[in-house]
Amino acid sequence: MIDQQEKKSSNDIEKPPLLSSWPKLYLVVFLNLVLLVVLFYIFTKYFS
Amino acid sequence: MSLPDWIVLIGFLAFVVIYGVWKTRGKNNIQDYLLASRATPWYMVTLSIMATQASAITFLSTPGQAYSDGMRFVQFYLGLPIAMIILSVTAVPIFHRLRVFTAYEYLEQRFDLKNRILGSVLFLIQRGLAAGFTILAPALILSVILGWDIRFTVCIIGGLVIVYTTTGGSDAVNKTHLLQMIIITAGMFAAFWVILRLLPPDVSFLDATHIAGKMGKLNAITFDFDWKDRYNFWSGLLGGTFLALSYFGTDQSQVQRYLSGKSIAQSRMGLLANGVVKIPMQFSILFAGAMIFVVYQFVTPPLFFNPVETQNVKNSAFAADYNNLEYKFTLLHEQKQGTIRDMLAALHNQDQGGLQTSVEQLQALSGEEKTIIKSAGELIIKANPKADGNDTNYIFLSFVIRFLPTGLVGLVLAAILSASMSSTAAELNALASTTVVDIYKRMIKKSGSDHHYLLVSRLATIFWGLYAVAFAWFANRLGTLIEAVNILGSLFYGAILGIFLIAFYFKRIGGVETFWAAIIAEILVIACFLFTDIPYLWYNVIGCLALLFIAHLVKMCRSLLLAR
Repeated sequence: MIDQQEKKSSNDIEKPPLLSSWPKLYLVVFLNLVLLVVLFYIFTKYFS
Repeated sequence: MSLPDWIVLIGFLAFVVIYGVWKTRGKNNIQDYLLASRATPWYMVTLSIMATQASAITFLSTPGQAYSDGMRFVQFYLGLPIAMIILSVTAVPIFHRLRVFTAYEYLEQRFDLKNRILGSVLFLIQRGLAAGFTILAPALILSVILGWDIRFTVCIIGGLVIVYTTTGGSDAVNKTHLLQMIIITAGMFAAFWVILRLLPPDVSFLDATHIAGKMGKLNAITFDFDWKDRYNFWSGLLGGTFLALSYFGTDQSQVQRYLSGKSIAQSRMGLLANGVVKIPMQFSILFAGAMIFVVYQFVTPPLFFNPVETQNVKNSAFAADYNNLEYKFTLLHEQKQGTIRDMLAALHNQDQGGLQTSVEQLQALSGEEKTIIKSAGELIIKANPKADGNDTNYIFLSFVIRFLPTGLVGLVLAAILSASMSSTAAELNALASTTVVDIYKRMIKKSGSDHHYLLVSRLATIFWGLYAVAFAWFANRLGTLIEAVNILGSLFYGAILGIFLIAFYFKRIGGVETFWAAIIAEILVIACFLFTDIPYLWYNVIGCLALLFIAHLVKMCRSLLLAR
């Protein structure tokens, strides 16, 4: 029973409050991390 | 502390408690009490997650960390957004669909009772001690800087939290988290504004940033890999992901926050928003610490920021040595000021040669300064062998008391106490849930009424609150405690995470393999702690990977035996 419940795809979950799909939102969170790392690197190099 | 500061402080704290109790009156069933009726919107979930994670020690210690070690601590959080994505995809839908109250309840549904009990007992041991520490750490620092009685401070923080957490449960925790985050943000912004105003008139914000950078305080990212270096890009990304997965995926104090979400979407969104906001927030707090460092380049700082220990050494047989160090420190500081101004002039005139010379001189002077500070720490310990030779935790608060205007001191103290209360409230709520749902209801009384379990939950909240206060009351050393609690968490988190990863991703592995793999992995981690010098942050990775490997090995051996 649990497995059946777990096997439900993420498609049956309501849409995210922002953006149109969950994969897009995950991508935004990941790209935000990449952007922060790049900005921190520039910040570190520029002021060092 | 002046009267207006007391009014601001007491006013804020009283408002939080009254608001928490009033907004949650009439909550009469266990679902309301433990999971806020599963009706929390995503932004409240985010605020609650952030308020739970950000304890007082975050605000007291983090600026001091940047002051003494630079901003590289921010890398510790690099794995957090990745963990938020993984948990949103896996844990959130499973926990929501199974309608569990605690994360460990899922372990029985997936494996068996012994795995559930193992998970919940490991959590109760670790989080029970951590709750005491969450109260103790700010109380100890406030008592040293402000001269407050430590036991009085512990009772105030613990007592207020017990009142509204016992009365309103999870909903009170969520609602007060909103207020507490507002106070915390306002306090930090006020402190940052004052820091910038304290810069000399001829030193702009950009100049200050250059000074911090040239003196090695803006080292936010380093890609050099060093196994023994606690904070670099790689340890942050790898170790940080494992740590965040463990903390947000298996620690009931966090799981309970997003289980209170209205739906899977609201819980997910709450976690993902935390993944976006957390790193910039930590960056800002660290940057404030770097700016405090710059202010102290133009105003002579204390040689040692803990005033009680400074007084101790000055009253001891080492007073003459310490005074001599203070004299050298002041002279060196004046010399540094001159070199900093030379460096700024070279920077404004785009004189690369002059800039290089000034930076080299500053590095040499900073090296001498570090030697003096280290010697001062050694004298402090000689004068009082029980003293903590590290004064990082006292830097921010001593700055606040010395430089912030009347009223703002009260606001910043309210922010610090709010942070302590917000974390403690979530911890007590989670400890009570696990005690009642995973132990009491499962093992002791299976068929009680809703009213009965609500009463037991309230009693469990009071019990854990008193336990945390008692722990904070009798423990009295900060340095050892920080280390002890962090090591304690890392000793258990890896194994707990491994259990959950098997539950989520390896459907062929059963309860027997998982349980014994967890026991062996735990022994391995404890052996690492006792017999190696591996930094404790790596215990999370080692425990988790060892459990995954051993569980697969045991499964393979059992299959081979059965085949014969």
